[in-house]
Amino acid sequence: MAGITDIAPAIALLPLASFVIALFFGSRMPKGGALAGITATGGSLLLSLWAFLAVGNAGYSNQRIIWVLGKGTFDLHFGILLDPLSTLMLVIVSLISFLVHIFSLGYMNDEGETGLPRYYAGLGLFTFSMLSFVFADNLLMAFMFFELVGLCSYLLIGFWFREQGPPSAAKKAFLVTRFGDYFFLVGVVGVFATFKTASFVGEESFPHLAELALGGNAPAQVSTLFGMSPQTWFAVLGLLVLGGVLGKSAQFPLHTWLPDAMEGPTPVSALIHAATMVAAGVYLVARMYGFYAQLPTVLAIIALIGGFTALFAATMGMVKREIKQVLAYSTISQYGYMMLGLGAGGYVAAVFHLMTHAFFKALLFLGAGSVIIAMHHNEDMWDMGGLKEKMPVTYWTFLAGSLALAGIFPFAGFWSKDEVLYDALVHGLNSPLILLGYLMGLVAVLFTGFYTFRMVFLTFHGEPRTETAEDPHPVRWNVKFPLVVLGVLATVAGFVNMTPLNVEYLHNWLELSPQGAFELLSVGHYESLLAVEPAALGPIVPALVSLALALVGAGLAWRLYAVPEPEEHTDRLGSAKTLLYNNYYQDEYQVWLAEGVTLPVARYADKFDQGVIDGVVDGTSQVSLSLGGRVRQVQTGVVTNYAALLTLGFVVLLVVIGLTGGWF
Amino acid sequence: MAVAVQYYLLLSAAVFCIGLFGILTRQNALLFLMSVELMLNAANINLVAFSWYWGNLTGQVFALFTMALAAAEVAVGIGIILVLYRNFDDVDVTKATTMRW
Repeated sequence: MAGITDIAPAIALLPLASFVIALFFGSRMPKGGALAGITATGGSLLLSLWAFLAVGNAGYSNQRIIWVLGKGTFDLHFGILLDPLSTLMLVIVSLISFLVHIFSLGYMNDEGETGLPRYYAGLGLFTFSMLSFVFADNLLMAFMFFELVGLCSYLLIGFWFREQGPPSAAKKAFLVTRFGDYFFLVGVVGVFATFKTASFVGEESFPHLAELALGGNAPAQVSTLFGMSPQTWFAVLGLLVLGGVLGKSAQFPLHTWLPDAMEGPTPVSALIHAATMVAAGVYLVARMYGFYAQLPTVLAIIALIGGFTALFAATMGMVKREIKQVLAYSTISQYGYMMLGLGAGGYVAAVFHLMTHAFFKALLFLGAGSVIIAMHHNEDMWDMGGLKEKMPVTYWTFLAGSLALAGIFPFAGFWSKDEVLYDALVHGLNSPLILLGYLMGLVAVLFTGFYTFRMVFLTFHGEPRTETAEDPHPVRWNVKFPLVVLGVLATVAGFVNMTPLNVEYLHNWLELSPQGAFELLSVGHYESLLAVEPAALGPIVPALVSLALALVGAGLAWRLYAVPEPEEHTDRLGSAKTLLYNNYYQDEYQVWLAEGVTLPVARYADKFDQGVIDGVVDGTSQVSLSLGGRVRQVQTGVVTNYAALLTLGFVVLLVVIGLTGGWF
Repeated sequence: MAVAVQYYLLLSAAVFCIGLFGILTRQNALLFLMSVELMLNAANINLVAFSWYWGNLTGQVFALFTMALAAAEVAVGIGIILVLYRNFDDVDVTKATTMRW
């Protein structure tokens, strides 16, 4: 019987097959290719679970196919790495993707959308890219699928390409993430140039080589560039790769694409935000954490960016009118927490939050999708209200997701967010930058509680504010089933790692009995690399502080919005209101950067290119052309002239030889 | 009493110059061929004269070679002149200038 390592590629190839089937035969199939997608992602889910269990039993595995053979230099290979982190992520991605496919039956098929084969093909390709990215065992392969993920998000965000907004949002998402990926690409090349390998795993992996180089006995193949010390140069490499992470994971300042990406279909938003595109950035940092763990400066920067983004996005989420916009900013904010956790050295905490966030954010997006179906595609929360009685399944699951998002005990988000903050605090006590990140993250908890429950109360509580809200469109099983599954997960997923209660299944899972070179991928090894020592501090008090803040935020929202006829309180914010509505003018300054700085520079560069570079080339050819034009006049075509020239030349030659030879 | 070698050389130079003059001044392609033939034969005279002067047969052998070469050259030349005539209805070499630049 074939082992899981033999059929591991099928985890990713099944959705690829569904992509092909949906693309070419989707129009002739019932449900426009949805069934192929559901079958494929369901199969991927089963295989991922198998791989998950196999890793638990038999340990890690890594297999490679070399596709470029280096002559006297390194090879390039594709490889599949199955370890606790990647199998966990495989399960999450395939589960979310499976549920999103089912939900799409309700959101797309039942709503009579056209272009369904294209939609399901996009979902299949998206899932394929993300799964391949997850089990990639080297940075180059990860980069390739990272790019494919970006392409798929472009295709799906711009699904309704006949309307005004989606194509522009899709372009923005593509360009902004591409901007980050550009640094990532330079980073990949830099890693190859430095380490002659980009593998994540094994004795010859680049994190391990970096470890040796920093330890003083640098292996012969490691060479830093530009004469920098290994410490500095590795930090530069880390920051370059981080560029791609910031773009994909929508961290400040490259977060602007994500709220616009809400133009895409809601199931796609769920997939992008919970499991695929946005998770890719954070997952990449976790994947090569052995490298980052050795770079305290880069980690502090990651923590600071993460904490700042968490706070920054949370403030913007407080004033939004559309339900999906609130969720979009909450996504940015939550990924900020993950970055904070990674930067602070809380590898387990960040992976934990990545997992719980995948569940509750997918739940919230699908719940929002259900509300949007009910509201006939009106997303404005001020037109909703009182949906609680009309759609109880959506309400209760959405509430579970909201409690998890706000970090209220005992829902999943509480445990993971608390662990992130706890790790940030204990490491922050020995590192001021991380402490700053922690403080921003802590304040963001308050805002998170507020905007989450503002959303819940505005959507589901009070009196219906429009006629559609009084008589919402009913939703079917294919909407309710994913909601219930995710609702249960959002409630209980946190129990796998209750640090304050010393329940640490996830920690143990990531620590799992590594053998040989795989030990370099274990949590224990990462922790030994960290430069900042954690301070001794009990987990109970910080947990209570963040819980109290979340409750205060939620309570404030309850006071303001849980009334039959809520009003907008944004005017009380004064001038801050305009600032928040305009998202701190982030888009404006980025447009200004593009139009006011980049465009003139590009124009000058173009002028220089056209004038000087091309001028020299054109000039050279002009000169030779005109010279040739003159010289060819010698060729008259009259034989007599040639003969005369021959004779003259001979005479001249004779004279010259005679003069120099001294005949005269 | 044999003729001194310098007279042969003078004869050869004269014949060569006549040939050269023909090439430089004539327009008729057939005259061209004749002029070239003159120049070649001037060279032959030289070869034979020197051969005789040095008592070495190599020059005479080369003269034979040159004659064979001249025959071949005439064959090719006549061919070219025929084509020239077919295309331009004339054997005037100044007319065949359409193939320049």
